[in-house]
Amino acid sequence: MSMRSLWSAVTLILVAVLSLTAAPPDVSAQAREEPPADNVFTGELDVQMGQRVFQQQCGRCHGEDGTGGEGGPDLTNGFRSASTDEGLFKIVREGIPNTQMVGISRRSTDQSAWMVVAYLNSLNDTNDVDLPGNAANGQQLYAGKGNCSGCHMVNGEGGRLGPDLSQVGNRRDPAELVSDLRTPDQDVAPRWWTLRVTRADGTVVQGLRMDEDTFSMRLMDDDEDLWSFSKRDVRSYDRIKTSTMPSVNATLTDAEVDDLVAYLFSLRREEI
Amino acid sequence: MKRLASVIALGVLVTGVVPAAAQETESQPGTTPAFSPVTWERLLNAKDEPHNWLMYSGTLDSQHYSGLDQVHNRNVGDLELKWAYQIPQLDRAETVPVVVDGVMFITEAPSNVVAVDAATGRQYWRYNHSLPDDLRICCGRNNRGVAILGETLYMSTLDAHLVAIDARTGNLVWDKAVADYRAGYSKTEAPLIVKDEVVTGMAGGEYGVRGFIDSYNAKSGELEWRAETIPGPDHPDNQTWAGDSWRTGGAATWITGAYDPDLDLVYWGTGNPGPDWNGDVRLGDNLYSDSAMALKHETGALEWYFQFTPHDVHDWDAIQVPILADLEMDGEMRKVMMWANRNAFFYTIDRVTGKFLVGKPFAKQTWAEGLDANGRPIRIPGTSPTAEGVTVSPPIGGGTNWFSPSYSPRTELFYVQAYDGEDIFYKRDEDYVEGDQFTGGGGRRPLPVENYKSAIRAIDPKTANLRWEYEIQPRSTAGIMATAGDLVFSGSVDGYFFALDAVSGEELWHMNVGRMVHSAPMSYAVDGKQYITIAAGNVVYSFGLRD
Ligand code: HEC
Ligand code: HEC
Repeated sequence: MSMRSLWSAVTLILVAVLSLTAAPPDVSAQAREEPPADNVFTGELDVQMGQRVFQQQCGRCHGEDGTGGEGGPDLTNGFRSASTDEGLFKIVREGIPNTQMVGISRRSTDQSAWMVVAYLNSLNDTNDVDLPGNAANGQQLYAGKGNCSGCHMVNGEGGRLGPDLSQVGNRRDPAELVSDLRTPDQDVAPRWWTLRVTRADGTVVQGLRMDEDTFSMRLMDDDEDLWSFSKRDVRSYDRIKTSTMPSVNATLTDAEVDDLVAYLFSLRREEI
Repeated sequence: MKRLASVIALGVLVTGVVPAAAQETESQPGTTPAFSPVTWERLLNAKDEPHNWLMYSGTLDSQHYSGLDQVHNRNVGDLELKWAYQIPQLDRAETVPVVVDGVMFITEAPSNVVAVDAATGRQYWRYNHSLPDDLRICCGRNNRGVAILGETLYMSTLDAHLVAIDARTGNLVWDKAVADYRAGYSKTEAPLIVKDEVVTGMAGGEYGVRGFIDSYNAKSGELEWRAETIPGPDHPDNQTWAGDSWRTGGAATWITGAYDPDLDLVYWGTGNPGPDWNGDVRLGDNLYSDSAMALKHETGALEWYFQFTPHDVHDWDAIQVPILADLEMDGEMRKVMMWANRNAFFYTIDRVTGKFLVGKPFAKQTWAEGLDANGRPIRIPGTSPTAEGVTVSPPIGGGTNWFSPSYSPRTELFYVQAYDGEDIFYKRDEDYVEGDQFTGGGGRRPLPVENYKSAIRAIDPKTANLRWEYEIQPRSTAGIMATAGDLVFSGSVDGYFFALDAVSGEELWHMNVGRMVHSAPMSYAVDGKQYITIAAGNVVYSFGLRD
């Protein structure tokens, strides 16, 4: 057997093992009384207790602050699998069958689970606030003078060189939106770093970092074309951690920034 | 060994700027800037770009055949694993990936899609669909694949939505509720692009739904037409349902159809009438359940139908991929449709008129004496389910099922996964409650599965005669792909993936992929290298020839 096919065999076995190790939760052992439909544990202290449980039991997958991590999705941007408190409780209590999502320890009480629900809801608060700007004006600026739609999509319309903003109001509060617009270089997510790749023949390809691992990297160039590189095949590559988004400081007035923020914050998923 | 060392060295060196492993560039493929928009022209002529797999069944005639021949019946023994993609869900995959210019789109349970580099299996982006927490699904969190038009992907979701997703970023473009999931509707099949529209079916045949096939404007998501699979009371065929039974008659449409551009006809199979096993409450033929429907694409109007199993009481859905080809029969070129049905009969039908040409059993069956001149089964009395139970072949799962068959224009053979099983069928009384299962009975296998023969069968569609068979132990529920390299690829429930000689049926290569193969193989090429891909368990594997 050649070295290559040996490695193929090893990969194959590894993958097979990986796919078996995450056993689904034992739901049968969890038969219990019907939970109450409304959460009665929603006070400030309940939320704090819920946060503590969350950090102990859930943070390793979902991140200490619930914004997502290695093993679990972001929980601060609405929920895919639950539309009610009861649904959320069920997930926290029992996990999601056939996924890595295992739910709260069986030794934890239902009360703790409800507190976690309260905490999760607190991460998703988007209570309406009074904003100085005018959203309708902001929408016009977005499409016109601001030149935002060249890089961003809203509901399928626009460019691909920045994050989809269709529901940006769910994940960013107004203060964060102001800093997104004024100081884009602050805290650029790795997905939006730039990779500059010099190929073996000296030519350069540069674009937004869609994905990178030990051996390979994938990016989208300015023409929105997708590229995949094997690191072994390129001469060198750079990670540029500043934003490709221009700051609005030079181009828009304070009032215009307020209007844009009002528009962006209005881009939220309707309550279901 | 040198190669291995340099890979490890690079792994350590990855920080900021990395010096090149310049001497290592030899045969490596370099990079692929991907991909150009998939126009309707490209879909029409998908045969001319065999390095891509542009839709669920490969081409609009649904032959599930790859025109690539780099891997052929003399070198298939040199196949090795090139990469594996681990789906981060434990559900077993039923997906057939789509490949466009080096980018592969894989759907995952419950209703997600990921874009990966087709040469390495590494991710570009993923889209996770939001689902409600009270879904009603009978048979697993399945999704079988995407359709692509231009730069947009179209996908069915379990909550009975059709979503449009930007193929370069995974951004959601539009999201359309096709039906109400709370009433038992869901969607699992890969849609079919026809011109600038998305043709798509629905699932939920075990919930007393009423089936339909829809066509949506690809740009806007607006419904262009809906073809009901059970006609309403203003249509004479509604008389084939006793009383009000048509309202909850099922006839779902959960597998992708085919399209003939010259005739402008969309072909689509329909599922069982409901309740599945108790026919007393729906006396009559129950049109158009268990049928092939041919619809004018312009309007959705029914051109013809062919009902394989009138008044079905065994759950034998006509949920198979219709395969189209032009064959010389009795000295005349005929546009035909080939169909190995769950009821254990194989049919060749004239696809212009719907006229039956030839048909014979391809798997064990004990319910019909044969087919009459019009292809209608001649039923053997006493084979309907009873309270005590009646043993009948084929079983509930059928002589075959939804997994794709394949047709090779080179061998002119039709390849199908066949099963000579049986079940004891039971009937019970049941009332319809919206959103609940509505089946009226069930079934059970009397003996261990090892007692029944499972085989890949090669059928001559001109005569419906068996050419060869390859026995599988214990059984298979996998799709099949034939290739221009005269190979037939398929898999088995116990985790084998294998290749047979398309002419003789002889086994040429097999690989233990560890878990059940339930989807169909597909093939594509990147940088001149052919890959053969299969989903097994919850992993997608891509094989190619040893470098
Ligand atoms: C081992 C890793 C892991 C742990 C520990 C874990 N989760 Fe999860 N969680 C996941 C994964 C993975 C998913 C996504 C499941 C899917 O695919 O639907 C998920 C999904 C969820 C969801 C649904 C998200 C949505 O969008 O609907 C909630 C809510 C959630 N987790 C809360 C929790 C809480 C609360 C805890 C602690 C009690 C916890 N998780 C512990 C991995 C984990
Ligand atoms: C040249 C492309 C480009 C243009 C033009 C552009 N952006 Fe961005 N934008 C980006 C990129 C890339 C990011 C992600 C990196 C970052 O955080 O700065 C981003 C991030 C953002 C974010 C944060 C999104 C999130 O999910 O965290 C907001 C809000 C935003 N942009 C709004 C705008 C608005 C409003 C305009 C018009 C005034 C605009 N952008 C113009 C590329 C662009």
